[in-house]
Amino acid sequence: MGGSKIKLDKDLLAKVKRYAELAGYSSPEEFITHAVEKELAKLEDADSEDEIRRRLKGLGYIS
Amino acid sequence: MKRQRRPTAWLICGGLWVVVASFGCGSRPPVGKRVIVLGFDGMDYGLTRRLMSEGRLPNFERLSRIGTFQPLGTSIPPQSPVAWSNFITGMDAGGHGIYDFLHRDSLTLTPYLSTSRTEPPGHILKFGRWQLPLSGGKMELLRHGTPFWEVLEQHGIPTTVIRIPANFPPSGSASRELSGMGTPDIVGSSGMFSFFTTAPERITDKVTGGTVYGIELENGVFKGKLKGPPNPLSSTGDTVKADFTVHVDASRPVAKIVLGDQEVILQEGEWSEWLDVKFTLLRFVQTLRGMCRFYVRRVHPEFELYVTPINLDPFHPAMPISTPAEFAGDLARATGRYYTQEMPEETKALRSGVFDDADFMRQASMVVEEEQRLYQYVLGGFEDGFLFYYFGNTDQISHMMWRAMDPSHPAHDPVADEPYRHVIEDLYVEADRIVGETLEQLGDDETLFVMSDHGFAPWTRSFNVNTWLKENGYLALKDPSRQGELEYFQNVDWSRTQAYALGLNSLYINVRGREGVGSVPRGQRQIVLDEIARGLMRYVDPKTGQRAIANVYSRDEVYQDREYLDIGPDLILGFARGVRGSDESALGQLSSEIIFDNTSKWSGDHMADHEVIPGILLSNRPLQRSVTSLKNLAAAVLAEFGIEGFPPRE
Repeated sequence: MGGSKIKLDKDLLAKVKRYAELAGYSSPEEFITHAVEKELAKLEDADSEDEIRRRLKGLGYIS
Repeated sequence: MKRQRRPTAWLICGGLWVVVASFGCGSRPPVGKRVIVLGFDGMDYGLTRRLMSEGRLPNFERLSRIGTFQPLGTSIPPQSPVAWSNFITGMDAGGHGIYDFLHRDSLTLTPYLSTSRTEPPGHILKFGRWQLPLSGGKMELLRHGTPFWEVLEQHGIPTTVIRIPANFPPSGSASRELSGMGTPDIVGSSGMFSFFTTAPERITDKVTGGTVYGIELENGVFKGKLKGPPNPLSSTGDTVKADFTVHVDASRPVAKIVLGDQEVILQEGEWSEWLDVKFTLLRFVQTLRGMCRFYVRRVHPEFELYVTPINLDPFHPAMPISTPAEFAGDLARATGRYYTQEMPEETKALRSGVFDDADFMRQASMVVEEEQRLYQYVLGGFEDGFLFYYFGNTDQISHMMWRAMDPSHPAHDPVADEPYRHVIEDLYVEADRIVGETLEQLGDDETLFVMSDHGFAPWTRSFNVNTWLKENGYLALKDPSRQGELEYFQNVDWSRTQAYALGLNSLYINVRGREGVGSVPRGQRQIVLDEIARGLMRYVDPKTGQRAIANVYSRDEVYQDREYLDIGPDLILGFARGVRGSDESALGQLSSEIIFDNTSKWSGDHMADHEVIPGILLSNRPLQRSVTSLKNLAAAVLAEFGIEGFPPRE
């Protein structure tokens, strides 16, 4: 896998390995990537601007 | 009064005899008492009083003699999600956390709908262009606090709560619930219609809340697609689509529509029944199901086809809409399928010119018929405990038709509006009939409440709060020559902006450390806030010579409940009667003028100061506990069952 390496605490890494396997991820990297992506999506708001516009204007109160 | 309690009742419904299931105690011992609350959204106290004095609301008049008739204090601000949350939780916005239809993420200033949000699936397995969610996504209700029916249930009282706003996804704590305002269509919006036309040039107004497709017929045939949501199983997020075909008769005003394995033949001006819409997510494996109705508006010389927003199918809801999950389907089995999306009256199609007044009133009357069929069924089976039932048409039709009964309204057309001059009054008369029908079902020791969440007022003048902020030096633009062009604050220079408005009554100070682009030091917040409040209160509409803002409230002072105070706007604007915040301002766009005429068909509204537009409260007997506002109405409902102490304090 390309990109930078990130250090993880040994205990945390052990947990990541265990739960990645339990949850059906193909590797700990995939699990971590997904977890980080999910958190980033929350921060950035997963909805695109079009999606927001559609939801807000569908209200009727705003045209 | 008749008392009617049978395990199973029969009811005439649309000319058919249908079996009515019983809604009551289930395995619990019966309470032996029934309390019903009928909620008529937006029913105005002043208009109700006038129609009562004219003798047009005999059942309301009877309630006023034997029980209660009074104004009911609404929420600050008087928007439906806020108002109904006040009723549901017994708290104000500071406690339940719903301040406006729209909130903003303070960090990014992204607006979002205030009552619910969607969480993406937790684990996703990817393979090629497909992905498989290993755990489901989640819909989250953002209203905080304990709903009053939860307390009733804790006391062994079975509750049925139909379509109360700000309860999507359903709380899960009532014996039976069907969600209402806040429930999306299948694409997650408040309802996006589709309009297919060979003459798209007819639609000259801005179209929001729907999509207009210009089409061409080939030998009388058109192949179209209904758009669904992004495919959750596709890693590229492709939108799923469902194909349909229209065959237009060459000479007669008739069209045949083929959707999946369904075929309908519709005359010009005719609506289909609800049809299944199936979106394939993964062939042979996973399908997403919804439903829609087709309306052939015109056939010749131009062809026009309207398709409703694709609603969640109560038999196979793609999102949770009822408690228990099968309740939505049980209702549909008994009464026929029904709109599940929030606020289904097609205000958007009328506002954008896709519908004319006649189309709108016809579609709205179909919604009314569905609501009443459902109500008759639920009422017929209601044996014990508590029932809430919501009627939304009093609100939605008042929004669109206020102009027709108000000759001074800028959108009033004396000729075109004449057939609709009395439609709002007629709705009140119809509400009175429903109340009469309900009274017939109740015994003398049982209680009926009739209430509304707020009143109504004309919307004649639009006030752009963001433009006022700019003109008064509180908001700066990156490019002043583009004032009025860009939404979502895209033209705002945040480094020089002290305040901004978002939503229909909300104003925020651009606080450093709270807003991601904040410029006002926390210590200066109160000073800026006071200055803006004073300035807004002084503003006089140059056309009317009247103040545009009746009251400005600081969240820190006006709310008694404080747990979620920090997410609220710094100032809440109470507009004068006749004034509303402009559409543009609500989404962070400026206009060339601060205040201007509202010529839209959306001509009535309820964003005025809460003191200007109270709702109504009626009851069929003196109440055990007095009520002044929505906030203490639920306590009065509980008192009818001898329960005190609401809202619960931890």
